[in-house]
Amino acid sequence: MPLWGSVDRTKLQTWSFSKIILGRPQIIKCRSPEQETFSCHWTDKDFHNHTIPETIQLFYMRRNDEEWKECPDYVTAGENSCYFNTSYTSIWITYCVKLINKDDVLDEKCFSVDEIVQPDPPVGLNWTLLNTSLTGIHADIQVRWDPPPSADVQKGWITLEYELQYKDVNETKWRELEPMLTTVVPLYSLKLGRDYEIRVRSRQRASEKFGEFSEALYVSLSSISSVLCNEEIQFPWLLVIVFGTFGLIVVMFLILFSKHRRLKMLILPPVPAPKIKGIDPDLLKKGKLDEVNSILAGQDSYKPQLYNDDSWVEFIELDIDDPDEKTDGLDTDRLLGDDHCKSHNCLGVKDDDSGRASCCEPDIPETDFSASDTCDGTSDIDQSKKISEKEDLLCLDQKDNDESHASPADPSTWKPNTDIQSKLPFADSIESTCPPVRTQLSNQSSGANTDFYAQVSDVTPAGSVVLSPGQTNKTRRTQCEAYTEPAIQCQPNFTMDNAYFCEADVKKCITATSHDAVEPHVQEQSFNEDVYFTTESLTTTAENPGTAAVEASNSEMPVPDYTSIHIVHSPQGLVLNATALPVPDKEFMISCGYMSTDQLNKIMP
Amino acid sequence: MFLSKKGVTSLPICPSGSVGFKLSHHIHSLSSEMFNEFDERYAQGRGFITKAINGCHTSSLTTPEDKEQAQQIHHEDLLNLVLRVLRSWNDPLLHLVSEVQSIKEAPDTILWKAVEIEEQNKRLLEGMEKIAGQVHPGDIENEVYSRWSGLPSLQMADEDSRLFAFYSLLHCLRRDSHKIDNYLKLLKCRLIHDSNC
Repeated sequence: MPLWGSVDRTKLQTWSFSKIILGRPQIIKCRSPEQETFSCHWTDKDFHNHTIPETIQLFYMRRNDEEWKECPDYVTAGENSCYFNTSYTSIWITYCVKLINKDDVLDEKCFSVDEIVQPDPPVGLNWTLLNTSLTGIHADIQVRWDPPPSADVQKGWITLEYELQYKDVNETKWRELEPMLTTVVPLYSLKLGRDYEIRVRSRQRASEKFGEFSEALYVSLSSISSVLCNEEIQFPWLLVIVFGTFGLIVVMFLILFSKHRRLKMLILPPVPAPKIKGIDPDLLKKGKLDEVNSILAGQDSYKPQLYNDDSWVEFIELDIDDPDEKTDGLDTDRLLGDDHCKSHNCLGVKDDDSGRASCCEPDIPETDFSASDTCDGTSDIDQSKKISEKEDLLCLDQKDNDESHASPADPSTWKPNTDIQSKLPFADSIESTCPPVRTQLSNQSSGANTDFYAQVSDVTPAGSVVLSPGQTNKTRRTQCEAYTEPAIQCQPNFTMDNAYFCEADVKKCITATSHDAVEPHVQEQSFNEDVYFTTESLTTTAENPGTAAVEASNSEMPVPDYTSIHIVHSPQGLVLNATALPVPDKEFMISCGYMSTDQLNKIMP
Repeated sequence: MFLSKKGVTSLPICPSGSVGFKLSHHIHSLSSEMFNEFDERYAQGRGFITKAINGCHTSSLTTPEDKEQAQQIHHEDLLNLVLRVLRSWNDPLLHLVSEVQSIKEAPDTILWKAVEIEEQNKRLLEGMEKIAGQVHPGDIENEVYSRWSGLPSLQMADEDSRLFAFYSLLHCLRRDSHKIDNYLKLLKCRLIHDSNC
């Protein structure tokens, strides 16, 4: 029994290599194009390229046969070939063929026909244009072909798989598509103006070997190029027009906006920025209140938590000029000194970007806390607290320096005020700055009341606002009352030096004083009732009745920074003469009271 | 096309029939891949190529061997032949799954392909039996199949012999799966597309 072997692909692949080396004729390939016939081919040259005599024979044997049979057809398949037609071909049956030259077996191969199927190339390749892109650069085409005629796909005897390859005629590498079962396939994004080649080959499905390629199909897209598709001079006119129009519009807008600043103001109104003199706005922006506190205080012992309890106490914003104006000097000085312009200027509505119309704010430089004897409210709570504390210190300081004071009593009275105690060091530093102020104040013979701004301590149901210079004022007031009650000897000095006056105290003073001035008298009367700084809608109660004191000539009397503007409660009334103010022209101080700009303007000539 | 119980000229192809056509192709693809993998891994240099293949255990079944024969056979008979081949592979596939795991360092791809082929073969057999049952109800065709006696060869102690047994079995599996696929394709094109696939 002859040995039967199966032909697999690895063996077929090694056919040509092994035999060429041996230099003997060999069976090159056995192939079936349609699984109905097959043929085998061999070489007739040996290694030395000598033609083998024509005595070569090929014998075959099928598994069920008993003996070798010779090739039935040496002609149909060409030279050096053996052709087996359908009658000799059985599928799924093992065949063995051998090449013999006069009883000399040259080569032998075994296989089954279903394993050597390699279809013929597809035929009838053609293409149609599907569409072209809007830019006129690319195009889609559809390629279709017919299966090889030899393959009976219609009856389903063989199922074919196709592979298409295409390339630009100028390229060398073919592009492949995935094997497909259909005979129609689209090709996308071919470039117009170029020519392509397309070829197709087929194989039996689930097999690995392809047949030969079809003839290349020549696709000429250069004849379909449109006007826009001139690659050499491809200028995107459309884009130029579009972007040019856009640019013109933008330029027109710029021109339009640049010449109309008001328009710009309308569209982009300036945003008021917080400005506090002496403080870097960036610190506020960054929220570094600690740093701000440190700047404002300038001292280590400063406590910024003075008004923790009174969160409801509203602090009047301190409208501070730009830091650049820091060098302009103390507002206090301006107010108290001969300077007039600045204070006057600072009375008016400040037309700056701060957006706040406020009365003159005292200058609060880092080292100038002596000016704290001004009623300045600040938007920063800490600042106001500091101011209040400064007031306390000033109060204490002045008290200490007051000759007429029962100084020993002062510390005792102030002792309960622990805050003051802690501020002693602060007071020390204040001392140096106080005297000038006091001097100035005394020179001006005006109350050293430096409360430019007051805190709103309460809002009455009637809608009036009760102001207080600060929390400490209350205590101070209490203190004052406590202090002054026992030893109430109306001492003008006392009242004068004390920046804050207790109402009861002043009353007594006033009543004790002579009737030198109408104003004091009026003051008394005014003190009978609470002193009000009235505006159209705002009534403020000055805790410091001393502010009602108008008489500047009476230096011993509490001379307020501002005179009472409107007292209506007595038939005598109060006639204010702005010029009679002891305060120099256009210089006055708010003595712990709040005056609106209207009031100020009334005072001011 | 539904059939009557007598003198059927057409087969109910849908839905199990259409599934059958796809299944048969799927089984054949897996079989080809499994054989190639086995050949690459175990058959190189062992001379399996030159060894005799004594035919498959299904060779005793008379099945059409070319197109003319296949075209002449009646579709019912052809379907029965398909069923016979499928039944003949029930047992070998079952043992293949269990024995292929004993091969030293068998790749996972061969293992899961064997499992997959065994499962799909059962499904295909069931589908075809359904169709055949409607064609010839009560026909005791399901008794005819070719027995497989190759289990001892798969369990031989000699590794070379055992590997050759596997090689032969896988080779037969590839061939028979191709045969089944071809027959069913013929049936489909003949019955559904009227020989115009």
